[in-house]
Order: sequence, then structure tokens, then C-alpha cells
Amino acid sequence: MVLHTLRLATVPLTFTTSRLFLKPSPTLSFFSRHVQPRKPSFLLRAFSNSSAVQDTPLTQTSSDSSAARPPQWKAAIDFKWIRDNKEAVEINIENRNSNADLEAVLELYENMVTLQKEVEGIREERNNVAKKMKGKLEPSERERLVEEGKNLKESLVTLEENLVKLQDELQHVARSIPNMTHPDVPVGGEDSSAIRKEVGSPREFSFPIKDHLQLGKDLDLIDFDSAAEVSGSKFFYLKNEAVLLEMALLNWTLSEVMKKGFTPLTTPEIVRSSIVEKCGFQPRGDNTQVYSIDGTDQCLIGTAEIPVGGIHMDSILLESSLPLKYIAFSHCFRTEAGAAGAATKGLYRVHQFSKAEMFVLCRPEDSESFHNELIQIEEDLFTSLGLHFKTLDMATADLGAPAYRKFDVEAWMPGLGRFGEISSASNCTDYQSRRLGIRFRPSEPLQTGPKKGKANLPPTKFVHTLNATACAVPRMMVCLLENYQQEDGSVVIPEPLRPFMGGIEAIKPKLR
Amino acid sequence: MGLHTLRLATVPLTFSTFTSRLFLKPIPPNTLQTLGQFSRHVQPRKPFLVRAFSASAAVHETPPTQASDSSAARPQWKASIDFKWIRDNKEAVEINIKNRNSNADLGGVIELYENMVNLQKEVEGIREERNNVAKKMKGKLEPSERERLVEEGKSLKESLVTLEEDLVKLQDELQQVARSIPNMTHPDVPIGGEDSSAIRKEVGSPREFTFPIKDHLQLGKDLDLIDFDSASEASGSKFFYLKNEAVLLEMALLNWTLSEVMKKGFTPLTTPEIVRSSIVEKCGFQPRGDNTQVYSIDGTDQCLIGTAEIPVGGIHMDSILLESVLPLKYIAFSHCFRTEAGAAGAATKGLYRVHQFSKAEMFILCRPEDSETFHHELIQIEEDLFTSLGLHFKTLDMATADLGAPAYRKFDIEAWMPGLGRYGEISSASNCTDYQSRRLGIRYRPSEPLQTGSKKGKASLPATKFVHTLNATACAVPRMMVCLLENYQQEDGSVVIPEPLRPFMGGIELIKPKLR
Repeated sequence: MVLHTLRLATVPLTFTTSRLFLKPSPTLSFFSRHVQPRKPSFLLRAFSNSSAVQDTPLTQTSSDSSAARPPQWKAAIDFKWIRDNKEAVEINIENRNSNADLEAVLELYENMVTLQKEVEGIREERNNVAKKMKGKLEPSERERLVEEGKNLKESLVTLEENLVKLQDELQHVARSIPNMTHPDVPVGGEDSSAIRKEVGSPREFSFPIKDHLQLGKDLDLIDFDSAAEVSGSKFFYLKNEAVLLEMALLNWTLSEVMKKGFTPLTTPEIVRSSIVEKCGFQPRGDNTQVYSIDGTDQCLIGTAEIPVGGIHMDSILLESSLPLKYIAFSHCFRTEAGAAGAATKGLYRVHQFSKAEMFVLCRPEDSESFHNELIQIEEDLFTSLGLHFKTLDMATADLGAPAYRKFDVEAWMPGLGRFGEISSASNCTDYQSRRLGIRFRPSEPLQTGPKKGKANLPPTKFVHTLNATACAVPRMMVCLLENYQQEDGSVVIPEPLRPFMGGIEAIKPKLR
Repeated sequence: MGLHTLRLATVPLTFSTFTSRLFLKPIPPNTLQTLGQFSRHVQPRKPFLVRAFSASAAVHETPPTQASDSSAARPQWKASIDFKWIRDNKEAVEINIKNRNSNADLGGVIELYENMVNLQKEVEGIREERNNVAKKMKGKLEPSERERLVEEGKSLKESLVTLEEDLVKLQDELQQVARSIPNMTHPDVPIGGEDSSAIRKEVGSPREFTFPIKDHLQLGKDLDLIDFDSASEASGSKFFYLKNEAVLLEMALLNWTLSEVMKKGFTPLTTPEIVRSSIVEKCGFQPRGDNTQVYSIDGTDQCLIGTAEIPVGGIHMDSILLESVLPLKYIAFSHCFRTEAGAAGAATKGLYRVHQFSKAEMFILCRPEDSETFHHELIQIEEDLFTSLGLHFKTLDMATADLGAPAYRKFDIEAWMPGLGRYGEISSASNCTDYQSRRLGIRYRPSEPLQTGSKKGKASLPATKFVHTLNATACAVPRMMVCLLENYQQEDGSVVIPEPLRPFMGGIELIKPKLR
């Protein structure tokens, strides 16, 4: 994902019970049959509140709402695979410290299958009755058949209603199952995360240093005070060279990433809340990180990952068009509900910020290599800017529900006196594409089983999606201001950015 | 203001006459009255009307919403409206309201004001009586006399409480009704509707094409620059993705604009795009109601900004600036969000009217005597920018009925859009004089002491004055794109990038059709 760590979130536990419905036959789970890297699914993810909090407490509120109304969209979850790989899924849920209720999912699924079979059976009976009525019949026999047909229809209506309810409930409960996990991911909490790479070393200062807040004030670059009056706390104005620095960061990042074949995008920042859900974020509830628009079903995006994920929603792509590699610029908005403490000082955690985000859609077999490409791009960018940072292979309990694997980059922030997350690269495999409905059709026909003819087309597969921060402006500013401060209070601009800000080499204290 | 014309808007008519004539009488003192005081020295005294980002260029006036139960809710802030000036210049204000096609109820305002002044007097009178009673009770008294005084004090206190409550209600109501009075109008502004607007300047001429031309929508599709279809699935209609060179073009437009405007001494800013709704109101926009152009955040009192004018206006809210810091000239970059409720028709095609766009907006805070000069500087900057880009456009001095409530005068620029086959507004520069500063509470203290009247000593500081505010679009990206794509299209389907922008987009000279 992006700037903020993703954590496990808020899973409604309420549903589980409704075993009112029994029996059924196939359908739903179909399309997924051919999809290879079968992995089950899901847990809702949130932009995390604070790096310290491991797990958000369960809100009791969220449940009644969702249980009541049917889901607005269906995730193409591979229930059969989940059932057939119950142990692996169970272990995965435990490793990821998820609240997902696998038992309930399986039970609901079995119930649904049984009910589907029953519905099928009754439909068949009804057809038989209808067939019989086509011939010549005694009036009494016809009347009996009419009566029977009527009864069958009535019970069919009831059963079909039950089936829909059951499917809806299954959707709700199953969405909380997290993605499976890459076998190399360390199992455990944050401390278990493995260092993948370390670049540079902390700069040694021969003078007392300031944090970015102080530098921002002294150099007249950042105004939190006015923003607190106008908007609320954790909003800010950028002023003077800071505005140019933001532009430079974005322009430079864009031009670097475009060199790697990424298509630049700007995106809508207001999206339907269903898109937010499909990307694995929770747009509602007490702890939501998402701002909602009053009187509509729209939200503000927390990351460009959401609108970019939505571009190819409900479509079947040509294999030849893959990979699709995007670098998207947007403003991002987060409520940061519950965030508090020193880790949230100044620009480190804010309600609105600019970000350039990479997003890749590819064939399943390619996602691992693209994941490595993405983290490599991030590392190259931050190395060019001369930052001291380390790349972490995040441990299981630190993964958001959509991530199969996640690399975070944490950079040294001398003023804050600690490492802080500046970017994150996630391989979400088919977690998001199963929700967003993004498939592709392989160019080469697969060996189709015995049934040939009809459609020679190979079956579609879900694409894999990956996302990675190229530049989250405020945290980059924290790094640049704090690392490049000079004894005279000025801040040196790293060379790669200078051409993008009119050749400015240093931000000097203003007179006046 | 910004991209869209400002129109008269939605003025609750409910308050005007009736009810609160329950209160009568009172004495001169304090509160509101004092507020009116500082403004004494401010010259072009002018009042008010609520403004909206207009829904459609065609619609002249939004019907009054009946949903004005706002009379119930107390105003969260007070506009320092100079009621005394309004009362003393009743005829001029009345004519102005009429010229601007405003719904403001001047009669209602003046009546409420008189009632309030009377009630204030009455409250003062009772306070004085109460003080007298308290004084009397300090001396030696017969027990019966003391009892009588206690009783009298008590009943005075009770009626004081009641009257003070009434006074607050009356003041609140006066605020509500008076806020709909529009700013006064510059004497040179043509009186009338849109057709009466005067052409201030005209630059260039429509380009002649020797081939069948496309509109920007078609160009955007053919060159893979704009994606409305995906955006309507992900977000809704009138949202869009920019792709490929369009992203670079947006960046180039903003960077170039910023660097040009900074040369004129403007301070660059980026702003919050979520603000408290009170700030939106103070800038003269209507954040609520059926026809609002403003997106509100669910469960808070915050809104999305429709223009950077709002957060920039808010920077110096409730402060007294040094005269020596004026003028403050800002060039602010932000995304802007507008519901465009009620917008429809051909004028809203493609990028012309969208829910979200990028914009660089100029904003000036200055001394009253300088605002006219700065207004001309702003429109000059706009004209220079658009001339550099080789656009054909005209600058209009907008007629009275076309002014939003805060504007004392407004210059619009309309550029030729060959694909759409018409002129379209690409920018707008308004002098709001003290309309916004009286709401936002932005004053300054003149450096040279004025000749203070008889009362000297105490504080020889000169009295504060309200600053004047001005705002002007430097670059509203989507409409600039309409102009650039449509005007610079070539027969082979490519689009030439105007020279000034090329250095800001890596030297790209041409957007060519993609293969693939």
C-alpha cells in the first residue's frame, strides 16, 4: 500500500448465526475455478491509526448496518478453494492476527451449496410438472398438476429468497478473510519484520539540530497555525520554497518513474464508497480513515491506489496489454481517527497530502518480479535523494488484508530522532481484482478439457495488482528538511531536485 | 473569484418581515455598535449578498430555497456589517440591490436594526436603574425600604434577563437577514444583465482552420489524454482521469503560471482543501442548501473548497496586520471541488464543467485605497498569461446583475474555444473590497496616527481598518486545456504545445497520436 501501514481492522462478528437456511447446488464459486494462485481472501484494511496500535478493537456498530442491507457488490471469492485448503487458511488467519471467522464462512458456504442443490431440485421437479401438462390429461389430473406446480413455485420463491440472504451473509463474513501470505514473509508482529536492505548511515551533525516543524517555522515554509483555525488540526499550508519543493518532488518523481515505462495519471479524489471497499479499505464505521461526502455514497480517497484500481473495474483486459503500469498523482485525505502521540508530530501524519503512487496490473505469474521492480524503484529514488533508509519485509501481523507481501521503506528523520515510514510496496495478488472484477484473457488457448467446440477462447483469469508509493510529499519533506539542514539554519536542496525548482540550491532564512 | 461566474444566490426570504417586532425600545451601548465603529474610516462602504459558484452559465438566479429553517440555528460567527452606514445610505443601498438583481431585504434589515438599537437602549436603561438600586442599598435603610429595594432589584434583574435574551435573538436575526445584502458596486460597472457587460480588451482573433476540427473531448480520446468513462464508473459523471501528456501539461501549466506570477512578487502557497464551513460562509459562499455548489464532509462541520480563495482568505482571519506588511500577494495552488448541482446542457460538455479540478489562484490583501490598482494589476497579469499562450480572448467588465455578492467589481476573461464553437470563461478577477474582510475579521493598523478626535491620551494608536481582498484566477487547468487542445490541434490529429510551456514539460513540442 502506501504511506501508512496497513493493519487488521474491524471485522463484524455478528452474522455468524443465521443457520436458518439449509441445503443447495453449485453456481457462485464457478469462475474462480481456473484461477491459478488460488488464494483465499480477505480482511478489511484500514490506513492504520498509529504505528503503535496493532489491532483496532472491534466496533460493534459496523455489524448491524452491514447485516441489514445486502452488499452492493459481490467479491468473486473462491470458496471452494478456501474449503479445500482449510488448514492453510486457518494458519494464515492466525499468523496475520486477523479476526476472520473461517468456521462461519465454511458453514455458510456449505449451507449455501446445500440450498442451491435444493433449489435446483425443485426447479427440475417444476419443469417435469410443466412437461407433463403439455400432454392430454384428465381434468382431475391436470388440476392436481396445477396445484403441485403452484406449491413448487411457492417453495421455490421462499428458498430463492433464503438463498439470496445466505449468499449476502456469506459475502459479508467472507470479505474479512485476508489474502494468503508469501511463504518468505516472516511470521509474527512488527518486530519480526526482516530487513531487506539498508542504505547510507545517519548523518552526523556538528551543531544542535531542529526538527522539520522548527525549520518550517524559521524558514517560513509551513503554516499549521492558520490551518488549524481554517480547517482543523493536522492541516497545513505550504509556503514559499516548500511549494516549489513539493512541485519539484512530484515532477522529478514522475519523470524518473515514467522512464521505467509507467503511464502518468491524475485521478478523481472523490470516488464511490464501493470502490474504496473493493480495494480493501473500510469507508464507514467509527474508526474509519475515510472522509465521506454528506448526502451521497461518495468518499474522498486516502490514496490514488483506489481510483487507479477502479480504472479497469469490471473489464476483461487483453493479455497483450499487460502489464499496465501507472504512476498516479493525487491529493490524499485521511481522517486519522484516533491518531495521537509523538509519532504524529508536524508533517508526519496529516489529513491531506500530495502523493505519487505506482500501480501495476499484471499476469499472476509476473507479480512477484514486479513487486521487486517496485521496491527497487523506490530504493533508487530515495538513494538518489541521499536518504538513509532501510527496507523491511513486513511480518505477517503487519500486513493489511489485501497484501500478499509488503515491503516498507523507513527513512532516518534526525529531527524526530527515529526512522519513519516513507513508502510501502504491496503485492495484492488477486485480492483486489476479485473485488474490482478485473480479468484478462490469456492469448494462448489452454488445453481445454474434453468439452471443446463452442468457445475456443481460453477462460479469463484475475489479474494481479500491486501498489507502491513513489513519493508521499510531506514525509519526504520531513526527511529532506531534517537531513539537509545546515548550521546557519538553511536547508540544502538535493541535486536531482534543483532543475525542477528553478535551480534553487538552498532554502535560506528570509529577512523581513 | 475563480473559474465560474458568480451569481446572486439563494437568499432565504423567510426572516424579512414579521415576528421579532416583539421587542421595542433600548439605549446606545456596545457590541454590534462598536463593530460598526472601526469601519468608520473605511471608504467605499459597501454591504452584501450571498454568492454561489454558478450552476450554469445560463441560469440567472437560483430560486430561493424554502429550507431556510436556519432562522432557528444561531449564526456561528458575526459579520462586522456597518448597519449605521446602511441606514444612512438607504437609497444608494436600495438602488444597488436592485441593480444587482439581489433578493436582499433592505427594509427588513433596517427595521431589525432600529429595533435592536431601541432594545439596546432599553437594556442600558434597566442596567442603570439596577445600579442605582444597588447603590441605594449600600446605605443604612429601613427594613421595609430595604425589602422594597430587594424586590425592585429582583424584578429589574428578571426583566433584564428577558430583554437580553431578546436582544441576542434580535442580533442573530439581524445577522441572518443582513448577510444577504450584496457589496456596493464600482461606479464604472455597467448596470444590467450579462448582455450589458462591457468589453475591456480583446486580444487576437479566432484561428482559421483548413481542416475539420475536433472538440477537446474527441482530441482527448484520440490522443489518450482524458478518460471520462472510467471516472464515471469509479466516481460519477463529470469526473475524469488525465493520462499521458495531459498530466505533464497540467504540471507545466501550473509550474509555468506559478513561476510567472512569482516574478510579480506573489508568495506561493498550497492550501488545505477541507475547511470549516464557517470560512466558506465568511468568503461569501453558501455551503448548505439544495442548490449549494459545496461538498460537505459527513459528520463534521467541514466542506471541500470550491476555490483556493477560501483557504487563502482564511489565513489571516481574525487578525490585525501591520500596514507595512501590506499588500500581501499570494498565488495558491489547490484542487477545487464543486457539486455543480443543476448544471446541464452543452455549456457543461467535457472538461468545461467538472466536479474536481486544479487551479492556481491569486489573492491579495491590501489597503482600501490600493484595491483598485491591484484589481488592474491582477487582470493585467491574467491578460499577459493568456496572451503568452497565444489565446484569443476578451476581457469583460461584468454588469451589475452578473456580480456575486462579495464583488465590488469583476473582470471576466472569455477565451475562444473553436471545438466548442464559442467563447468560454477561463478566469475572473474580483475586487471584494471589505466584504470578505468584515466577515473574516481581517484588519490592519495604519502606521501614521490619524488625527484622533477630542479624546486623546489613553491609546494614541490609530484605529484599525478592514483590509480589502481581491482574488483572480491565474490558471484553471481544465478550461486552459480546452483552449490549448482545441486551438492548437493540427490536421494530423496532433496538438502543438505553446512555447512557454515546453521547458516545463521536458521539452515536448507536440502531443502525437499514440500507436499501439
